[in-house]
Amino acid sequence: MTTAVSRVGAVAAPARRVGKLHREGLAAYLFLSPALLFFCVFLILPFLFAIVLAFSDWGGFDLSTLKWAGFSNFGDVLSFDGTFVKPILVNTLLFAFGSVFLATFGSVLVAYCIDRLSFQGFWRVLYFLPVVATVVAIGNVWKMMYQPAGLINAVLNKLGVNSVGFLSDSSYALPSVTVVHAWASIGGAVLILTAGLKAIPEMYYEAAEVDGANSWHMFWSITLPLLRPALLFVLITQFIGGLQSFALIIVMTGDGGPVNATNVAAFEMYQRAFKFGAWGTASAMAMVLFVIILAITLLQLWIARRRGEETS
Amino acid sequence: MKRRGKFPWFAYLVVILGGVAMVMPFLDMVMSSFKGPGEYGVIPYKLLPESFNLDNYRDAFSQLELGRLFRNSVIVTVSVTISVLITSSMAGYALAKLRFRGRAVIFRFILATMMLPPFLLLIPTFLIMLNWPLAGGNDILGRGGDGGLTTSLISLILPFTVSGFGIFLMRQFMVSLPDEMLEAAKIDGANQWQTWRLIVLPQTKPVAITLGLITFIGTWNEYIWTLLISSSDPDLQTLPVGIQLLQSFLDPDRTMPIVMAGLVISTLPVLVVFLLFQKYYVRGVVLSGLK
Repeated sequence: MTTAVSRVGAVAAPARRVGKLHREGLAAYLFLSPALLFFCVFLILPFLFAIVLAFSDWGGFDLSTLKWAGFSNFGDVLSFDGTFVKPILVNTLLFAFGSVFLATFGSVLVAYCIDRLSFQGFWRVLYFLPVVATVVAIGNVWKMMYQPAGLINAVLNKLGVNSVGFLSDSSYALPSVTVVHAWASIGGAVLILTAGLKAIPEMYYEAAEVDGANSWHMFWSITLPLLRPALLFVLITQFIGGLQSFALIIVMTGDGGPVNATNVAAFEMYQRAFKFGAWGTASAMAMVLFVIILAITLLQLWIARRRGEETS
Repeated sequence: MKRRGKFPWFAYLVVILGGVAMVMPFLDMVMSSFKGPGEYGVIPYKLLPESFNLDNYRDAFSQLELGRLFRNSVIVTVSVTISVLITSSMAGYALAKLRFRGRAVIFRFILATMMLPPFLLLIPTFLIMLNWPLAGGNDILGRGGDGGLTTSLISLILPFTVSGFGIFLMRQFMVSLPDEMLEAAKIDGANQWQTWRLIVLPQTKPVAITLGLITFIGTWNEYIWTLLISSSDPDLQTLPVGIQLLQSFLDPDRTMPIVMAGLVISTLPVLVVFLLFQKYYVRGVVLSGLK
């Protein structure tokens, strides 16, 4: 009896499995449907729209008045007579490079030090506070601290240095907002780097100690090389973040001033589109910045893949 | 950890100095929120206010309309967070535990969605919301009307209801759930929906807290999109946007102290939530950062 049943089962099994798989596929697509629908409307459609807009002339409102413009928007945007390449794109790169450099340098130093203390959780939370605060809070508080009567100039005056017009002087304005951006992004980097440090086996350090290495040696020849993947991740993500960040600049300077000194590409795009209704020009700017970011992202994937091949 | 070098006085020095730099602006924010008309913006600078009275807080509530802003912030943040949790766990379950044609392609697509920078979609998404069919007086083709969806809080919620990152996080977590558990549920006669609701969801509590927290904080602090949408309709302002835009209406010699009071109030909820659940937040950042 049992053998008969099992034989019947064996014959019936493939058909049943196909049915089950089919049902499972249907269920899967039902579970995925909200997400897929969303991505169609809020990702694929706007993405295609962004490309179309970059290559067209359009006054807004009625889509039937949209005209194909070829590369003329890009020509306008990338011409050296305009303001987009210089100073705006240059500012964008300086802002991103500057904040990445400061935040990475600071976070490596801090993470390495935190790793050797007790109460590590407390320190991590402390450095993470700016990440939790809204950009409006951060921007306004720093704007206040940068004022002639603010905290920073008060400290400088105590040290016998004359007051600096951090946000009003065009040669100081960009570095001033860059510092704030770096300050606000250290926390996230510290978090990732401390996790990276935890993954380094203790015995490497013990062995180095037996060989008489001091902490500087250990840092240089054990910590840094082994921290490279985490460090690379921090560098790339912060750089991409820096290239597109402009909320802080709106809050702190209002218009990217003084005279474009703190204007960056994504902010210029925003202004062109929503202040002047220049959809085509603004979309071309967005495309240019997107291509730069895409190139960096692909570079990151390529490096990660190559490293994967090395280790496997 | 104690064995790395000698007594770490240098480490303490660095971490404490950096910690002061991290906390100082917040301290300045709180102290300034108590300063009266003659105390703010005068030289020499004083950190401490003369008295800790709540005048600025009272005026922040009345002049910055904090109550209204708070309401909008809560509605938007709660809606987005709940929606992201549900859609992420649904999609994550399908990608982690169900076999179907196209799974690998869809998973790659969702990873790719995380690479599209938000600013690129800002203009077209705004135009889509403006021309949304059958909303705000638009016809079926999205023409006419006066602003489509941009005249309601829905426009602050809808574009954030699904998160590629959230789906990814959920999927990574669910892959490690034992298949036997799901099999057992099926043998007991549960369908896919019941399996997900009754077996999978309770198991994903830790990752749900992580994702909920990241979404909550991100949405509460969201600035650019809300600034854009509410530029034509001030009724849609949330806390950060409202506090920034209503500054010009304040008493000129007390503007900053009142703004600081408003910012203290608007930062407190996220700060409390973050401190309560910071373990989960830290884990989420690390999960997404080091794969």
